[in-house]
Amino acid sequence: MTAGEFLGEVTGIAGRWIRKTLRRPPFLFFSLVQPIVWFVLFTQAFSSISNIQTPKPGGGFITFADITGTSSYLTFFSAAVIIQTVLASAMQSGVGFVTDMESGFLDKLKVAPIHRSSILIGKLLSDGARILLQTFVILLLAVALGVGVATGAAGLIFLFALALSFGIAWSGISTFIALATRNSESTLMISILTTFPLLFLSTAVMPKPLLPDWVQTVAVYNPISYIADALHRLIITGWDWAVIGGAFLVILVVGAVTLSATTAMFRRAVSG
Amino acid sequence: MTDNIIDVRNLVKVYEPDVRAVDGISFHVKRGEVFGFLGPNGAGKTTTIKVLTTLIRRTAGTAKVDGINVDADPAAIRKIIGYAAQEVGIDDDLTGRENLRLQARLYHTPKPDAEERIAGLLKAVDLEEAADRRAGTYSGGMRKRLDLSMALIPRPKLLFLDEPTTGLDPQNRAAVWDYIRRLNEAGTTIFLTTQYMDEADRLANRLCIVDHGKIMAEGTPASLKAEIGADVVALSFKENGGPDARSAAKAALLSIPGIQEVQNVDGGIAVYAKDAPSLVPQIVLALNDARVEVAELTLTHPTLDDVFMKYTGRKMRVEEVTPPRRNPWGARRRRSMG
Repeated sequence: MTAGEFLGEVTGIAGRWIRKTLRRPPFLFFSLVQPIVWFVLFTQAFSSISNIQTPKPGGGFITFADITGTSSYLTFFSAAVIIQTVLASAMQSGVGFVTDMESGFLDKLKVAPIHRSSILIGKLLSDGARILLQTFVILLLAVALGVGVATGAAGLIFLFALALSFGIAWSGISTFIALATRNSESTLMISILTTFPLLFLSTAVMPKPLLPDWVQTVAVYNPISYIADALHRLIITGWDWAVIGGAFLVILVVGAVTLSATTAMFRRAVSG
Repeated sequence: MTDNIIDVRNLVKVYEPDVRAVDGISFHVKRGEVFGFLGPNGAGKTTTIKVLTTLIRRTAGTAKVDGINVDADPAAIRKIIGYAAQEVGIDDDLTGRENLRLQARLYHTPKPDAEERIAGLLKAVDLEEAADRRAGTYSGGMRKRLDLSMALIPRPKLLFLDEPTTGLDPQNRAAVWDYIRRLNEAGTTIFLTTQYMDEADRLANRLCIVDHGKIMAEGTPASLKAEIGADVVALSFKENGGPDARSAAKAALLSIPGIQEVQNVDGGIAVYAKDAPSLVPQIVLALNDARVEVAELTLTHPTLDDVFMKYTGRKMRVEEVTPPRRNPWGARRRRSMG
């Protein structure tokens, strides 16, 4: 097994998934439209959030802008749309394995003289490519709507890197469930239930001081908060290496857990 | 290098909790031959193939492919085998050509080589015109042929075909048979499972008859048929013949000189006799005297069906199994069989 062969397998498998996505125009269309829908719906429905003020202990009020650094909920919410889109992509990542198990295609991959991890890596890479494209569409839309990125072009690179690495780490969850249940309905159901509430129990959609106490406590232990905080810094307030570095560290830990569990489950699934 | 490309000794595969899918079988396949595994659904054919192609682990016994123990170095085995499963494993969203290209990539075939092989295979399985259409639009026969050509991309020494013609119409079936023969003439050893007697009879140099995870008989088609050593008269009785019809008939028939054996089988009895045609009048008279009413009498020269019946007491029923498939992003699969 040479490195060149391994690379060929991984890109071949990733290319297959990308091609499959491109061959299903409705699917492609909705994965790109979905962030737009989120953006418009949320920023319209909750635009008055930015008018919220909380009483200051010494008198006077703390405004939304004081807490977040921006008076625009649209700007604040860009991070949540990116996270939500990444989560949605990651949640259905595992379904592809279920269809491959059902159709017998996985057996075809398993009898080929390939390094079996390339089956998993190729799939995750293709999911990563889709996440990058979706993040790009969101940022394009955000900029068109007047959102500025405080850290500029360099910040965009970090933003893409965060979305990509977080997406791949989170894909491990649905892939694990897919390999364990071998059923696409259960995979979607369980991963939606384990993922969606976490978004609302984080600092992504609402600044921390405005969350109820118990949610603030949950948010501290919620990995999504750390990604949201880092994205908020990059978009709104500027470079903050402690927060950005913290987010990558959290992603590393989440990825280590989900991907090692997935790899173990994958070994079980392919060894029969 | 041994003469046997497959060597299986006392192979057992138990699926949890306690389904003995393969129950202690031993056989070997010689280099260059077409070896048939003939048996009904659930006989353990696919399980055996899956152990030999390194897809599942054996429970007990040994299995060697090209002298390599299946657990010792599965990666080495994967390099020399091709496998076309009973259920075709093709990607419906890709075109036929793209499916083949992906396969070539997975077998590390250099690009110019790959394109040449793909062109040759598409021609051989008569898919040149459909090559750039999505495989999801293919008919059942075309899907099966594409799947077969994918198994041939690595130019395997040893090709596993799990029920290559199940679900095909007679025309497609004949085309696949023809193709298998040509592959074998070109030097590929072929391990073939089938539930069709005529298929095993036509293609296999040697075959095993398997049932309930065990090997019931082994030999060349000619030797197996010769073992019966006689023509076969199959008899079934009218329902009002009563429960004793079978035993009455047996008693009456065994007194006829020339009848070698009478066997209980599904739905009646099988009578084995050399030169059965000349005995038919006596058989009819004897049954008449015994007041047994006959519903059907058929006279055949021995076929593999009779071999199967002799070893299992049952007729082999062919079942077409097509498990339901799901396609969560909108089913566009059209499976017109044939």
